Amino acid sequence: MKKVAAFFKGIGKELKETGLTFKEGDWKTKVSFLILGFGSLMRRYYLRGIAFLAIEVLYIWYMVAFGAGYLAKFSTLGTVETHMDPATFLTVYGDNSFLILLWGLLTIILTFFFVLIWFMNVRENRNEEQCLKEGKKVPSVKEDLYQLLDAKFHVTLLALPTLGIFVFMILPILFMVGVAFTNYDYNHQSPAKLFTWVGLENFKNLLSIGTAGFGGTFYRVLGWTLVWAFFATFLNYFLGMGVAILINKKGIKFKKLWRTILVMTIAIPQFVSLLYVTKLFANDGLINSYLLKWGVISDYIPFWTNPTLARITIIIVNCWVGIPYLMLIVTGILMNIPEDLYESARIDGANGWQMFRKITLPYMLFVTGPYLLTQFTGNINNFNIIYLLSGGGPQSMSLVGSAGSTDLLVTWLYKMTYTETNYAMAAVIGIMVFVVMAVTSLIAYSLLPSVKDEEGFQ
Amino acid sequence: MAKKEKVHMQHRALKNGITYAVLILISLIWLLPFVCIVLQSFRSFELEFGGMVDYLLPKTFSLDSYKWLFSSESKFFRWYGNTLIIASFISIGQTCMVLMVSYTLSRMRFKLRTLWMRVCLILGMFPGFLTMICLYFLLKQVGLTQDGAIPGLILIGVASSGMGYYVCKGFMDTIPKTLDEAARIDGASRARIFFTQIVPLAKPIIIYTALTAFMAPWCDYIFASYIAFGSSDNYNVAVALYRWVKTNDYQGYFTRFCAGGVLIAVPITILFMCLQKYYVEGVTGGAVKG
Amino acid sequence: MKKKVLAALLVMSMTAAMMAGCGSEPGSSSSDQGGQESQGSQDNQGGQESQGSQDNQGGQESQGSQDNQESQGGGTEAPADFDYGSGNITIWAADAVTGLTQEMAEKFIADKGLSDKYTVTVESVGENDASSNMITDVAGGADIFGFAQDQISRLVSAGALQQITGTGFDTWIAEQNDGGAAGAAMVGSNTYAFPMTSDNGYFLYYDKSVVTDPTTLEGVTAACEAAGKNFYFEVNSGWYQPAFFFGTDCQLTYDTDDSGNFTQCNIDYSSDKGLVALKEMIDLVSSPSFQNGSSADNATNVGAIVTGTWSATSLQTMFGDNYACVKLPTFTGSDGNEYQLGGFGGFKLLGVKPQTEAGKLRLCLELAQYLTNTESQLARFESNEWGPSNLTAQTSEAVQANPALAALATQLNFTIPQGNYPDAYWSRATSLADDIISGNITKDTSDDDLKKILEQFQNDCISYAK
Repeated sequence: MKKVAAFFKGIGKELKETGLTFKEGDWKTKVSFLILGFGSLMRRYYLRGIAFLAIEVLYIWYMVAFGAGYLAKFSTLGTVETHMDPATFLTVYGDNSFLILLWGLLTIILTFFFVLIWFMNVRENRNEEQCLKEGKKVPSVKEDLYQLLDAKFHVTLLALPTLGIFVFMILPILFMVGVAFTNYDYNHQSPAKLFTWVGLENFKNLLSIGTAGFGGTFYRVLGWTLVWAFFATFLNYFLGMGVAILINKKGIKFKKLWRTILVMTIAIPQFVSLLYVTKLFANDGLINSYLLKWGVISDYIPFWTNPTLARITIIIVNCWVGIPYLMLIVTGILMNIPEDLYESARIDGANGWQMFRKITLPYMLFVTGPYLLTQFTGNINNFNIIYLLSGGGPQSMSLVGSAGSTDLLVTWLYKMTYTETNYAMAAVIGIMVFVVMAVTSLIAYSLLPSVKDEEGFQ
Repeated sequence: MAKKEKVHMQHRALKNGITYAVLILISLIWLLPFVCIVLQSFRSFELEFGGMVDYLLPKTFSLDSYKWLFSSESKFFRWYGNTLIIASFISIGQTCMVLMVSYTLSRMRFKLRTLWMRVCLILGMFPGFLTMICLYFLLKQVGLTQDGAIPGLILIGVASSGMGYYVCKGFMDTIPKTLDEAARIDGASRARIFFTQIVPLAKPIIIYTALTAFMAPWCDYIFASYIAFGSSDNYNVAVALYRWVKTNDYQGYFTRFCAGGVLIAVPITILFMCLQKYYVEGVTGGAVKG
Repeated sequence: MKKKVLAALLVMSMTAAMMAGCGSEPGSSSSDQGGQESQGSQDNQGGQESQGSQDNQGGQESQGSQDNQESQGGGTEAPADFDYGSGNITIWAADAVTGLTQEMAEKFIADKGLSDKYTVTVESVGENDASSNMITDVAGGADIFGFAQDQISRLVSAGALQQITGTGFDTWIAEQNDGGAAGAAMVGSNTYAFPMTSDNGYFLYYDKSVVTDPTTLEGVTAACEAAGKNFYFEVNSGWYQPAFFFGTDCQLTYDTDDSGNFTQCNIDYSSDKGLVALKEMIDLVSSPSFQNGSSADNATNVGAIVTGTWSATSLQTMFGDNYACVKLPTFTGSDGNEYQLGGFGGFKLLGVKPQTEAGKLRLCLELAQYLTNTESQLARFESNEWGPSNLTAQTSEAVQANPALAALATQLNFTIPQGNYPDAYWSRATSLADDIISGNITKDTSDDDLKKILEQFQNDCISYAK
């Protein structure tokens, strides 16, 4: 609350200062309120002046040529339908709701930035006036540029990454958040059809319990997602620790060989190994075939087609994938545990298990707390394993929207996008994944002291 | 005393024996899929059958599948080349991005720093596939889909990679700041310190970043197939191989899939083994420091 | 358009740079970065605008409609001086026929004398991928593409198919192809595609040394069980599954309007007949020899497999001299009556993407016509054993003598021509059978529970049409 109050106070102050600047500023400053960068140019701050001016020119050009048109249609997402001219059989494309939403959003964001820059321009004028009054030297272009490699080096370094993140992360995510409030699905595919705003309809559909809609399925998929993330994280963690301790035991030879064998799973592309493992465990796959041939079983084991067994198989195969990483990490950490801790414990007569419980485990848990958190959230979004192994199946009459018993939210999202072409619902599920991740992280932050420290570091 | 020692020794040998047995069992489990893939890749396509079979050892060993991959009939090496190009560029680009971001966040203090990091944290909570369709149309607007899929994939791979700065920043935090301060007293600019001091010291983490970035595109099936659809010259190797086993159009391509998989896995495994030291350092550092 | 976006990106880049720099103390050089970049982009600006406007659609359209007035003659013959324009035509065909299609298309273009104006690109995109890719992005899709008939309404409603009715080609389609195929190419009262094959049905392939009597389902399962072989039947696919329901005389069809929307579902699965079919499925699945699948390539230890003509080549290799195929078997239902397994008779179609230029539209239609005429269909039969939909081609001796096609032809007597089905149906059918395969529904499930499940299935299917 305090922060919000401070935020609005800050805005108020900024507005007041802007007014003061206009009132007290010279004519150059006043012109700058309309023509950005004018004051800077007149005061020989060339680089800044040109930058401000160019931004204004580009922004106006962009709005006139491009942005304004899309912005005007933003509230309806288009009204002109695509149709075929019955005389010529040629298709005449109408409004494209997709592009209207995308570019409309971009225009709104750019306008927001433009307003910020306008304020910066005003402040720049005020500062320049101040500097000149105090008789400071105007920095030359060269000095300005040098600053970019020194005091302002962060601007230079972060410019490109920030731009990339903005265009390829922030804009698409905002777009998809927008889509969650539309009816963009197989019946409303642009460019042939229009889609439009429907408000909270999709969210209602997903969260309603006990209806024929997505509600029941969503809670089941969510439940399995959390169960999966829990097992995938902690089973791997403890088994990985066990393997690492085995390999690092005193008196065990060929340590490097054991390690290398395990690490090969990391090196070999997952889509090769996991696709093969899928076939290996299939009802008619090698494992079942050999077990049948040897007479171990009389009927095949339905590794992938029985829901419970499929879930167990996936968790086990995931151990195969995950243990090597843990083995590497734990090996690294084990070396860091001070040897004298064990030494004194040994003198006190502690046995191996006691030492593990009292020394190794607490140390490991403390040090790898943050890692466990990232692993947990990573597993919530672990697409590859599920998609390549079971494909989310088997489905059931009690689940809707193509969801299967082993589907995670993220694989369900993929099915919604690709198989069902129900983008609106996919967007809603995506937002739900975000909510789950955020909640998990918040809980973890309050539980794990080392996570807090981690963030507080620096 | 001597007797007790002997008993102790026996006890220890037994314990070690069990450990060895467990380790051998683990190794067998871990190696099984790879052994199977390699064996199947040598099954004769002509004399036996290219599809799935229910036995492990091929009845006739041959290089049919490999020969086919090398023949002009298949575009395997074009796809292989595509992936190599994508992986190399992404590796270089991503490393640069990550270095820039982690240096800035580790060494410099500015007003929007915390906000920047928080935004990244929040963005990271959205699932990647959510934005797939939007990214497709964004790339399409600039002609980087289908025939332009390779630069498109590189762009996507590099553009938002700055967000993955955690491990690298954690490493840089451990490089003593006194080094920078000494250099700054000598009048070196931030840029100079970055290039002459930090970059050489961060070599292990640079190799780690480059290696992980290089390995990822070899697995990229979903996004690559979404962007390159309908332009088989621009597939990456995962897209092509995946189609061989997952669509009904390709009859008896299973041994070829295995052969292709072996050809992909071998160089990557060798590369990985050579750089394993750095990888371990990165993974361990990342887990401990976050 | 591209250039505009580039410019927009530049604006953003500067903005971002400015943002990164705006945390500065008063009086310092916060905006230098922006200044540098904006100089560069200003230089480009003039050029961009003028180029950008050339791209716009208006110009193309007006050109297009001029050309088209000439082509109004109707029929499939273009006027002698017709201007086809120039450009590139992309075709998506299944991997097995890409080479052949390339040859045919190039020959066609050469015969038309358009080799210097048009290029043809044939890509290998399977029928399933083709439709989902077309729906993802029509503009990025192929001009001519092959797809399985069940996708037609989805494609029409996504605006990915050119309407053919009225162009004159529709009469040609109706005359040249068998009735089922011509019907399959229609949505509502309009034709949208050129039939390519009439073989999209399924029947039984078996190993003669394993199965001696393929006439009853019980016999086939028993023989496979005895020999320890697998019997493949992909019951969890909405395409294979109706073999049981249609076999017991149930019905499931959808009506569509002209724009591809589903208006009504005609279904009676929730009945005694449906129950018999469901129980038979449960029975089959419970056999240890049963495997769910239809891909000969992924099948191992095969005794018998229910699949279509596309698997013929693989299965010949697999079975060798014991290769045999026949119509689907009969089964004795839980009510003691004997039923013949039914199913779908389906078709593969060739569609043309909606075009904005008259010349190219005309050429695409003619090319699609050429690719589905008697000679082309026969050529595909000879190279890949694709069963023709063309009436003349169907009477050819080679086609008549093909064992797989003969089995299919017999089976077709017991099937219904496959109409349009909503996407959700296929997924729901998978759910129904997955419940059986995963053991949620077994032989021990009471009739009442089974009836409830059928009722739910029926209600779900009805809910997809609205």
